[in-house]
Order: sequence, then C-alpha cells, then structure tokens
Amino acid sequence: MHEVALMQNLLRVVEEAAEKQGGGKVKLVHLRIGEMAGVNTESLRFAFQVLSPGTRVEGGELEFEKIPLRIKCLSCGEDHCPPELTFRCPRCGGANMEIISGREMDIEYIMMDEEGDSPRAPAFSPTE
Amino acid sequence: MHQINIGEDLRGFNREIAAENREMLQRFNLFSLNLMSAPGAGKTSLLVKTLPRLMEKYRVAVIEGDVQTTRDAERVGALGVEVFQIQTGGVCHLDASMIHSALHQLDLGSLDMLLIENVGNLVCPAEFELGVDGRVMLLSITEGDDKPKKYPLMFRESRLLILNKIDLISAVDFDLEKAKKEAREINPAIEILELSCKTGEGLENWIDWIDRFYKSRRG
Ligand SMILES: Nc1nc2c(ncn2[C@@H]2O[C@H](COP(=O)(O)OP(=O)(O)OP(=O)(O)O)[C@@H](O)[C@H]2O)c(=O)[nH]1
Ligand SMILES: [Mg+2]
Ligand SMILES: [Zn+2]
Repeated sequence: MHEVALMQNLLRVVEEAAEKQGGGKVKLVHLRIGEMAGVNTESLRFAFQVLSPGTRVEGGELEFEKIPLRIKCLSCGEDHCPPELTFRCPRCGGANMEIISGREMDIEYIMMDEEGDSPRAPAFSPTE
Repeated sequence: MHQINIGEDLRGFNREIAAENREMLQRFNLFSLNLMSAPGAGKTSLLVKTLPRLMEKYRVAVIEGDVQTTRDAERVGALGVEVFQIQTGGVCHLDASMIHSALHQLDLGSLDMLLIENVGNLVCPAEFELGVDGRVMLLSITEGDDKPKKYPLMFRESRLLILNKIDLISAVDFDLEKAKKEAREINPAIEILELSCKTGEGLENWIDWIDRFYKSRRG
C-alpha cells in the first residue's frame, strides 16, 4: 500500500505550508487525482485517518477532484478524452499522443482557519 | 477560512531522488532495467534464465525487491551474481530512495549492468520511477488478455512487454493478438516479445533486445 508513503508526503508538504502562514489549523486539503493515476482514494483516506492525528490537519477533511484523461496528438494537435484508453488520434490516426491530464496526484490547495486557534491571535484586535 | 494554493505533486519527492539516481547511474556509465509485473508472472524465473547469458558479456548486479522474504535473492544469488536485497516491509513497490541507498552500497564502478526486480504488483511500481534506463514489464498469459485495459498504467510506462509462459498457450484462453493490440492502443511505442522461461522459447530475442538497448545507451 503506497498510499501511506504518499500521505506522509502530503502531511509534510501541508505542514510546511501551514507553518509558513504562521500556524493554525488546516481544515481541508483539496487534491486533484487523475483518472489514470495509480492511487486509491479510499486507501488515501484511510492513511489520512491513521497519520493525521497530532498534525495541523488533524480533524480536517480530504477532498478529491477527479481529472479525466485527456490526450493530445503531436502530429495534428487534436486533443480529446480517449474512450477505452486508446492512445491513437481519431483525426489523423497518429500514434504519438501526449497525456495532457489524467496522471495528476496533486495537492491543489488547503483551507486554513482564519487566524486559527493560534494563541498569538486574540479574538479581537486591541491595537487602537 | 482562507485558501492557500500549493500545487505540489505527491510523487515529487520520489521524482527528485529518481533524478539523482539517474545522474549517478550515468556518471558510472551503468545500464539499468526495472522489471515489473504482477506477483508470479515470472520475473525471478526470467532473471535465472537470463543472467548466465548476460554474465558472459557484462558485469551484472541484481537488486531484488521483496515484501518479506529473501527467497528471490537466494534463487538469483545461487548463480554467483552480486545481489542486493531490499525488503520493503509491506510496501507494494520499490521507490527511488530504496534504490538510492542500494546504489550507495554497491560498487558501481565495477559494474556494466544493474537489473532490478520490483515487487510483484501490477499497479504501484508504475507510479514510482527509479531513475533507470528502461522499464520492462512481464504479463504471464495465465493472467488473462484483458489486463492492458484493466491496468493501463504499467503498459503505458513500459518500453518492453514480455508475454511470458507462452508454453501454456494451449491450456488457457488467452487471445495473443487482442492483448498485443490493446497494449499498443495504450502505448503505441511499446515493444512486445513472447517468451517462455520454461522452454526457453523467445529467450534469444530478449537477450538481443537487452544487447541492442545497452548499445543504444552505453555503446
Ligand atoms: N509454465 C511456465 N511457468 C513459469 C514460467 N515462468 C515462470 N513460471 C512459474 O511461475 C511461478 C512464478 O514465477 P516467479 O519467477 O517466481 O515469478 P515472479 O514474478 O518473480 O514472482 P514474485 O517475485 O513473487 O512477484 C513459478 O512457479 C515459475 O516456475 C513459464 O514461462 N512457463
Ligand atoms: Mg520474484
Ligand atoms: Zn492527429
């Protein structure tokens, strides 16, 4: 199950990003997962439950956006979503196809608490 | 709540280390292949058949990836080849950092060729590049001719497909032409060889393939 290793990466990246913001809780992690990516979202959720406690993401949510497979012909430029995973151009018959999308496994964005539960940020600003 | 954009690939870390491996292998002019397949398709059997032939011409080492045991390493080691064993401890694939530490422990300067047997798994190894010259996958015909469309990723990522256990063709309903056609639909550039580790049929073609690829990379 490589979802554990992927989740460790996710938590590391997200913790670093949250740290840069000065801390606070991460409420949501939005992921883009390609149709042809070799990852199981259920296993990712499971790994998240096991590994997130004690991090800034604890109690937060994972959100998946499914990205369809889209390929482009390098001969004529035609791009399309191939039915049945056929990597051949329907226009010119070319076989040199580039994958434009569908292999993603990206952390797109995170949602963080406004000033969060950070002890450094009081409920109202006493500046004046 | 506010949104913070990240835009990072979960495989990014592996990719960086794979690039280091590639650079390291090139520095030592070391040719390398990553053998992938479902469990039991015949990776170790193929190595056992192939290594005596390769050892006549090349200085070869093998990295054996296994979840738990050292059995494959023992089978291959019995041929007198240097074997580096990686036990992944439950992880379903080799990743670039496992290979990286192996590279640091092998005497790379004394080798021409490094063959890596990945963990038996038809999905995960395809997502984790190791930084080698080429990926080779085995599909044994007892697994069924529908596998290319069901598990497209590995077919897409491989340079060569070996249809193994061809000696069993009369015993199973495996449509060779269909499997080849569908593998090529996913990866039009893929090369395909039919082979039997049992009878030795197709072994010459496989050795020739290695020789040619070796020359194109290191010749
Ligand atoms: N009939 C026949 N049997 C084969 C052939 N190649 C391998 N086998 C048998 O298939 C079984 C599995 O072969 P292995 O070489 O261990 O397969 P593997 O891919 O290394 O397996 P894992 O490392 O467990 O993933 C063994 O019993 C082999 O004897 C072949 O070409 N024909
Ligand atoms: Mg094996
Ligand atoms: Zn075209």
